[in-house]
Amino acid sequence: MRKFFPVEELARDSRFTQINMRQSQADPRTALVGPNAAKRLKNNRLTPSRPDASEAARNLMHGIFVGEIQALEGAGRTCHDFELPDPSSRTADKAATDTVPFALKLDMARQAWDESRHVEISVKLGEWMGAEIGQFAENTVLFEAACSTDPVMRLAGVNRALEGLAIDVFTTMKEFGEVAGDPYLEFCEDWMLADEVTHVKMGSDWLRKVTENDPERRAKALEFQSIVDRLFSFGGTRSESEDSPIGLARRFRELAGFTTDEVDDIADVSLAALEERKAFAAAAMSTSSSSNSPAS
Amino acid sequence: MTVSVEPEEFRFVAFDSALIRKVGESLVATLGIDKPVHVCVDETTPLGRVRAEVGDKIVVTVESGAFEDSKRPRNQSEVATKINLGRILLRVNDRLRGGFAETPPDDELSLPQMAAWETYCAGRLSRLGLRINRQRWLYNFRNRHGFTDAADAAFDQLWAAENLTWSELQSICNNG
Repeated sequence: MRKFFPVEELARDSRFTQINMRQSQADPRTALVGPNAAKRLKNNRLTPSRPDASEAARNLMHGIFVGEIQALEGAGRTCHDFELPDPSSRTADKAATDTVPFALKLDMARQAWDESRHVEISVKLGEWMGAEIGQFAENTVLFEAACSTDPVMRLAGVNRALEGLAIDVFTTMKEFGEVAGDPYLEFCEDWMLADEVTHVKMGSDWLRKVTENDPERRAKALEFQSIVDRLFSFGGTRSESEDSPIGLARRFRELAGFTTDEVDDIADVSLAALEERKAFAAAAMSTSSSSNSPAS
Repeated sequence: MTVSVEPEEFRFVAFDSALIRKVGESLVATLGIDKPVHVCVDETTPLGRVRAEVGDKIVVTVESGAFEDSKRPRNQSEVATKINLGRILLRVNDRLRGGFAETPPDDELSLPQMAAWETYCAGRLSRLGLRINRQRWLYNFRNRHGFTDAADAAFDQLWAAENLTWSELQSICNNG
């Protein structure tokens, strides 16, 4: 079976349309600045009190659904893409960057099982909320983070950064269901949230264990995680500011193995990304540049 | 009746003002609206709110997300244009037609009131042949009126209704 599968060749039927992060970031529109921004709500957090609450929740639910598909694909690839270490090199100070311990593969297999269940739950929740499969564009950033040839990078980028984001998203959706009185949404999100905490914890534990004797590799992985955290905060989607639809779920992140300093760092990165987004949008609106032609 | 569109050319989105005009003219004819309509698109935001002010002409203000193809961000969807322009023009038509005189201005409507009126509009649009996802509107209604059998029964009644007055619409809501 083929190893290191490229994002462009993910199996999707004709219902799906994919975009990458570059296309997503090129959109200069925002609710946060611009000539009519002052007339809009001051709080963009996704709650039932927003006039567009059900539409925004449906959109986010579809994002969760495609994210779960990619997480399933990513965890499955990590099981398969890397070999077991050579027993004769067990005493080496540094582990080879193209092998993973068998127990890590088992954890990834368990995660793939969880993600497949999440895909099924997300499909049902989407139907319940009135979404159709493929109704919204699929951003492929999660699987792109799972394409690294170093498994530690995948743990940092997918399990710690993107599954960490999933903790924030599920917490927001669970609270949305709770406030709206939607029993299915609240219940399902709570169950999936518990799994996500486990996935992040696995990422945190394995990252520390695999890089125990290789501080340079660990530093690179954490730097990659920071880049992914920043990338996914672009547009101000997730931060502790009420300008962001999704909040930062500090408590669940701590349960998942993040230290307080690490959560503080993510909060800072997210807030900086939100401010960058506002500046980008303001600049785009102040210039009538021909380079702003929309993506086709 | 004439339909005008602003802006004529878009900078941030790939929308076609001629298509918006064509859709608007078709809806105005179908609904029998007898005032000129001016559609003003705010292309600086991806949100999807739609508002209308009625004077000598009907001025519809649309955030670009309302006409957007959710599969292809920043591109226009003819279906979304029809549905969202149709929803607002039906509400305007309700106010102009009579029976909605005591309706509060749009900005003063509560979220449950708006959800009920939107349900009434979406049901009528589906019978006009537009592709409407009923479950989407049911979920919106449940979010505002509760996840209960009584709310679902009220939704069914509003969805199937024609020629309601505001007080009849309110009465169905209150029973839900």
